[in-house]
Amino acid sequence: MRKRSEVFLCLFVGAFIGSDLRYLESLVFKTSHGFPLGTLIANLSGALFLPFLIHYLQDRFNLSSRMILTLSTGMLGSYTTFSTFTSDAYRLYSNGQWWSLLIYMTITMVGGFLVAVLGNYWAASSAFNDYVKEKGARK
Amino acid sequence: MINFLIVGCGATVGAFLRNEMTLIQSKIKIDFPVITLLINIMGAIALGIFTAQIQNGAILLLLGTGFCGGFTTYGTFNMELSQLWFQHQGWRCFWYFTLTYIFGILGFIVGIHI
Repeated sequence: MRKRSEVFLCLFVGAFIGSDLRYLESLVFKTSHGFPLGTLIANLSGALFLPFLIHYLQDRFNLSSRMILTLSTGMLGSYTTFSTFTSDAYRLYSNGQWWSLLIYMTITMVGGFLVAVLGNYWAASSAFNDYVKEKGARK
Repeated sequence: MINFLIVGCGATVGAFLRNEMTLIQSKIKIDFPVITLLINIMGAIALGIFTAQIQNGAILLLLGTGFCGGFTTYGTFNMELSQLWFQHQGWRCFWYFTLTYIFGILGFIVGIHI
């Protein structure tokens, strides 16, 4: 993993998939009022999945550090975005779409945190279920 | 179709730069996710500048949706936030949250008016 070219390749694959998935969602979930639903969906789903990947899938499937770099830093890191959130919020503010702005900011700010906490619990409960299953199989 | 290529290329450079910066975090002895904070603020400023200065749609897609989108991250931010929460570091959690959103949004506004 020391080689820079290797790191670049991992990030290249991950970032391509992640960012294009986000871009696709922004095209698919286009709303008539300009509400940034695509960004919201990408951000929340990414924030939920990242703790699950790091705290569960990594151990469960013995993922290599290359795989983790590709999936977490590369894919989910590029899939979710903070800068687009700020630009979306500014656009809603400039257009005077106060309700959209309020809803968008609240869901992003509160929802992101809650979803990340949920992702941690999801990982913990999955690991626990595996443990119980394994214990049952050994008996 | 070409748009997906443009976004992907921008995001790759953004993600690589983000990764390079994240490596610094392990070297500094501050028990606070300053690097992610810096990345998100810098990315927001950059996106503000690009949004205001660039008229060409393809270049904006490359630098905005691609590069800035790939450089900044919301997933890592929220995971670090939840980690601080689980470690009972309520104040650090609060400050990380507050600083990111205030300076992120301010950063974009500053960028757009530069």
